[in-house]
Amino acid sequence: MLQCIFLLSDSGEVMLEKQLTGHRVDRSICSWYWDHAISQGDQQLAPVIASPTHYLFQIVREGITFLACTQVEMPPLMGIEFLCRVADVLSDYLGGLNEDVVKDNFVIVYDLLDEMIDNGFPLTTEPNILREMITPPNIVSKVLSVVTGNSSNVSDTLPGATASCVPWRTTDRKYTNNEVYVDLVEEMDAIINREGILVKCEIYGEVQVNSQLSGLPDLTLSFVNPNILDDVRFHPCVRFRPWESHQILSFVPPDGQFKLMSYRVKKLKAAPIYVKPQLTSDSGTCRLSVLVGVRNDPGKIIDSVTVKFQLPPCVLSADLTSNCGTVNILTNKSCTWSIGRIPKDKAPSMSGTLVLEAGLEHLHVLPTFQVAFRIMGIALSGLQIDKLDLKNLPNRPYKGFRALTRAGQFEVRS
Amino acid sequence: MAGIRLHVIAPLVLVAVGKCARDPSVYVRKCAASALPKLYDLRIEDNNSSIEEVVGILLNDNSPGVVGAAAAAFASVCPDNFSLIGKSYRRLCEILPDVEEWGQIVLIGILLRYVIAKHGLAKESVMSFLHHTETPHVGEDDPTTNFMKEETIGMMDTANSELTHMICRSYIEGPDEYLSRSSYINKGSNTLDSARYTSSKSNDDVKLLLQGTSPLLWSYNSAVVIAAAGVHWIMAPVENVKRIVKPLLFVLRSSHATRYVVLYNIQVFAKAMPSLFAPYYEDFFISSSDTYQIRSLKLDILSSIAMDSSVSAILREFQDYIRDPDRRFAADTVSAIGLCAQRLPAMAETCLDGLLALSRQEIFSSEFGSVDEESRVLTQIIMSIKSIVKHNPLRHEKVIIQLFRKLDSIKVPAARAMVIWMLGEYNTLGGIIPKMLTTILKYLAWCFKSEALEAKLQILPAIVKVLYNAKGDDHLTVRKVVNYVFDLAECDISYDVRDRARLLKKTLEYNSGPRILETENSIPAEKDLQHAVLEHLFGGNLKPVSPEPPNSRFYLPGSLSQIVLHAAPGYEPLPKPCSLLQDDLDQISNDIRGMDLNEMNDSNTSSGSLDEETASDYSSQNSISGSSNNSDSYENGSVSEDNGNNEPLIEISEVGIAPRNENVDPQSSLAVGELMSKTALESWLDEHPGLANKDQSDSNRVRRTSARISIGDIASRVKPKVYTLLDPANGNGLKVDYSFSSEVSSISPLLVCVEVLFKNCSAEVVPEITLVDEDSNSQRDSADQLVVGSESTVPSLSEVPHLVPLEEVTSLEPGQAIKRTIQVRFHHHLLPLKLALLSNGKRIPVKLRPDIGYFVKPLHMSIEVFLDKESHLPGMFEYIRRCNFCDHLVELNKDKSQGAIEKDKFLVICESIALKMLSNANLFLVSTDMPVDSKLDDAKGLCLRFSCKILSSSVPCLISVTVEEGKCSEPLNLSVKVNCEETVFGLNLLNRVVNFLAEAP
Repeated sequence: MLQCIFLLSDSGEVMLEKQLTGHRVDRSICSWYWDHAISQGDQQLAPVIASPTHYLFQIVREGITFLACTQVEMPPLMGIEFLCRVADVLSDYLGGLNEDVVKDNFVIVYDLLDEMIDNGFPLTTEPNILREMITPPNIVSKVLSVVTGNSSNVSDTLPGATASCVPWRTTDRKYTNNEVYVDLVEEMDAIINREGILVKCEIYGEVQVNSQLSGLPDLTLSFVNPNILDDVRFHPCVRFRPWESHQILSFVPPDGQFKLMSYRVKKLKAAPIYVKPQLTSDSGTCRLSVLVGVRNDPGKIIDSVTVKFQLPPCVLSADLTSNCGTVNILTNKSCTWSIGRIPKDKAPSMSGTLVLEAGLEHLHVLPTFQVAFRIMGIALSGLQIDKLDLKNLPNRPYKGFRALTRAGQFEVRS
Repeated sequence: MAGIRLHVIAPLVLVAVGKCARDPSVYVRKCAASALPKLYDLRIEDNNSSIEEVVGILLNDNSPGVVGAAAAAFASVCPDNFSLIGKSYRRLCEILPDVEEWGQIVLIGILLRYVIAKHGLAKESVMSFLHHTETPHVGEDDPTTNFMKEETIGMMDTANSELTHMICRSYIEGPDEYLSRSSYINKGSNTLDSARYTSSKSNDDVKLLLQGTSPLLWSYNSAVVIAAAGVHWIMAPVENVKRIVKPLLFVLRSSHATRYVVLYNIQVFAKAMPSLFAPYYEDFFISSSDTYQIRSLKLDILSSIAMDSSVSAILREFQDYIRDPDRRFAADTVSAIGLCAQRLPAMAETCLDGLLALSRQEIFSSEFGSVDEESRVLTQIIMSIKSIVKHNPLRHEKVIIQLFRKLDSIKVPAARAMVIWMLGEYNTLGGIIPKMLTTILKYLAWCFKSEALEAKLQILPAIVKVLYNAKGDDHLTVRKVVNYVFDLAECDISYDVRDRARLLKKTLEYNSGPRILETENSIPAEKDLQHAVLEHLFGGNLKPVSPEPPNSRFYLPGSLSQIVLHAAPGYEPLPKPCSLLQDDLDQISNDIRGMDLNEMNDSNTSSGSLDEETASDYSSQNSISGSSNNSDSYENGSVSEDNGNNEPLIEISEVGIAPRNENVDPQSSLAVGELMSKTALESWLDEHPGLANKDQSDSNRVRRTSARISIGDIASRVKPKVYTLLDPANGNGLKVDYSFSSEVSSISPLLVCVEVLFKNCSAEVVPEITLVDEDSNSQRDSADQLVVGSESTVPSLSEVPHLVPLEEVTSLEPGQAIKRTIQVRFHHHLLPLKLALLSNGKRIPVKLRPDIGYFVKPLHMSIEVFLDKESHLPGMFEYIRRCNFCDHLVELNKDKSQGAIEKDKFLVICESIALKMLSNANLFLVSTDMPVDSKLDDAKGLCLRFSCKILSSSVPCLISVTVEEGKCSEPLNLSVKVNCEETVFGLNLLNRVVNFLAEAP
């Protein structure tokens, strides 16, 4: 059972404290935590820390530390997962997370926490339902609250879903145009090692659905080639049985945007893009050149290509130029080369020299290049949606499909 | 409302929650469930059993949402009360996928515990599989055979199986008790040795759990995935365990924090069963965004799952990591290479070559020496080489030689020291090394001055070791070198080096006298001793850089303790396998027992409905019997003065075989009470065939029965509970006990009489003992203290003192006991009163705990009045609770064993219930009714009525105890009903009554 939740700003200030049980947790635990964090230096803290008095779970999102304390045994993932949900919901409500926005919306944050956790046990974490219980802040409501002096955001009526058998959906939704959009969003994780061999290449994909349907619809989604999926995870709304038997997704969708399922496709043979770094060092300087190009043309335009890398600490200065796009070097020695769209006629390349520390002849550590790209309109895994059937609907809805692939952890070692 | 942490309103809240638990709205029931832990948290012991009752109701709920919250409540209120789970186990398994995610986590844990407790471990699971295949003759719970088993497994290699075994044990017993191993009952070994394929395949319960949890492996919530994986890990057959692998690896693609925790768990799985994760080594390749902790975990996993097929890929990966800018990580990689090589001896050559090549590079880079982290990598390289070489020094002779050759270029002191240690250790190895020795020693002696402290410390023992083994010409050279080094060392800056040099020199001198004359082999014992001494002295030097000992503490997968590596408060290992069997016989209803005997043909639903049917049958019977009862008692009550009226009833019972109706109604009014009861009993006894002992037993019984009503006789039969006020250990040998007396205070109705028994357990006389109220002494003014001091003052009702003290006990001889009565006014009927015991000038604070059973006084009334009053107090003034009662069993057994005349079982039951009630509360027994149509052995419908009124407010309070269910010779299920206008008081009284009734005699 969680006993207390703290939100710390990036300077260690306790922004918010929420006691959950009768056993009060003293704030001094935060200062202990902060001292501990400082003593660990720049290195990141473990997510589970055993302090002298409490066990702490911590996650850091956008500079805000979410800290939960407990004194008794509990599944640590429950704590961590809950904190992640809180962070997600907060950033969803407040339109991003930072110190100011949390401070501006204390009331909402407390309201949300009140609903999300009760006596240290998570209560309602479904964002759609929370949205119904507590209205998200907007200008109108702010003006209203200033004018009327009524600062409560909590709606008086209990959301209908809490009582229904489908806790993620309200029963009485009405839309004039019924629409449902299914997006395949894929991220490609790849590791290319020093020799230029593709060591690992896999796709992590999500089926995102945006449903605006009236009533209580029942949807069935099937794939052309479900057997390529290596592993799957489902939103609670998905029924397990049809998937086990026919690999069909049958579900009653929540309202609005949600992640229906995520999947993984492993052992892909090729990446759509190649990045070839070359480093040759000689007597205190190092020559760096990076070539980028399209390998297996997916048939769609590859855009938003960027190559990021961290220069090793022994590099004193760097002078890099490219024939395409811009190169940025920050003071913390992180380099970003943003190419954008790969031109048809020439292969983009970046080259330059790195000056090494005095006394160092050769570069003995090598940077890793992180590549980002985006391809619209295609799912690189090859997964294809067969059809989407809808039941329990008064009129024919509009159905839309999209696909998108972008780079996840796409790494090229040099 | 439950969140208001006020003890006073807790009973009210409990009633509200109990009502909400039956509310038609799902949300209300869910909220009721989540309110229970809060109530429990208030730690009012009286409430606990009723909270558990509500938990049981909610666990039986049909709505998944409610079950989830109820599971959470169960886990925090009564995690060991498996009988609650047993009732609805199957339904819980079926409903599991629909429960909300947070509830799933808890529920999975509960179900796992239940299955283990009930059926023990699964036979084909990882936990016991390896174990079984290797030792077909399974020893049972004998610790010695276990020991043997473990050793044989250890011999038969597969360190994994030993590890699994250890993990398994740790799960069950908790690592702290692991060494003091207690009985270990495997499910399979319990039944049959050869029947290996029972449990998880044939046992429906286990199968159901596995079925229920396997879809959860696809959950979005990583905590659910881990919990489900844990179940499979422990219970699933070996061939199915691989199901957990992919989901676990998938979870790795979530947030950093989650990844860290999951990796921690995978680490354990991978160590115990490397084959599980071996094909998926790619997933543990490190990406640049991983934090340091995650990297080291991944490295550890990689090195433990490396197989012959995958090791080359992994090593290639490692080579990349060594060039990583994070040098600490590079050092870890090097040590992981070392581990790989040790695990797979075939790869040792390759690893060593790679490491040597690396060391050459690193030497280059470390030449400018400024980078601290580079030296760490180098040290790690040498250490890995050392640990690989240690396994087979002969084979790797060349490697050692290469290292010696490079000694010149290794600059990092720690690494250098290690090479020098190897020099000493392997100086006799092979053919080439001894030839090199003199040169190396000369070199060492030459650069001794410029060495770092660490290396110097290693040089000294190393050269001594060499000296011992040197032969012929070499010996002289070595001796010279050694003397030279000692001379140098004695002038060293560091006192440590000087000291060691002197010590070694002395031991050498002592040794070398005879040594020069004789051959060196002649004193092996001494030499050994020397070596032992040397090892002891300098072995410690290596410790700081030696790798951490492997983690040998295992906790349940997914638990907090597994992450922090110590048992967090509240961590419970799995219950002992099959520990529930005993309880089953007593507690769990028949259908469960049926399942236990593997007669599980009937599905849960049918058995459940069957149960309900029978229950409804019972209740209908109940109502019938109850009504007939009532009418009878009316009849009886109205003409109770007529003795003759009882006769026909008895005749009926004599004629009828099974049905009988007793109306032991000993005290319709106090005046005729004694006489009445006597006659009633006499007449009742008439039906006994054996009348020989009639007179004796009769008188006996009459006296006993009258003990229920006459206060004077209470000591003989009704024994009020004695509580300890002061322990002899705390009170300098003075022991003070107290018990509540049924007397009513003459001073004020607010006062409760308490008998205090002082006993001197020490050898000395204890003078001047008195009890005073602590609060009043500190708070009130002197005038009030006077009141307290002088007994004679008559306090007004508004100013009733908290304590009317006893006369001072002037002195208490050793062994003497003295009894006094004090009258106390408690602030509240639940909170203890703080008193101070003054003895011999000392002040000892003590706490007097109130017993709500004595906040009432007997209220005499007839059965008609009782029923009338009862009908006026319906609805919210009426509270019912159930409990089990087994006092009468003792009595019955006693009778049986003594072979005395067989008393009627009904009478025994009545007696024991009444006795229990009267010994624990100050009540008046109004009537005792028996059902007319009950069977011979069925005590159902038996009803006792008590009445009393509250001391402070004189509000009457009615208690009826009815036997709901149960045979005479088995524990009875009683329902206790309290009708009282004072809601809170009534509830507390009810709780108290239920608690003492359920207490073991």
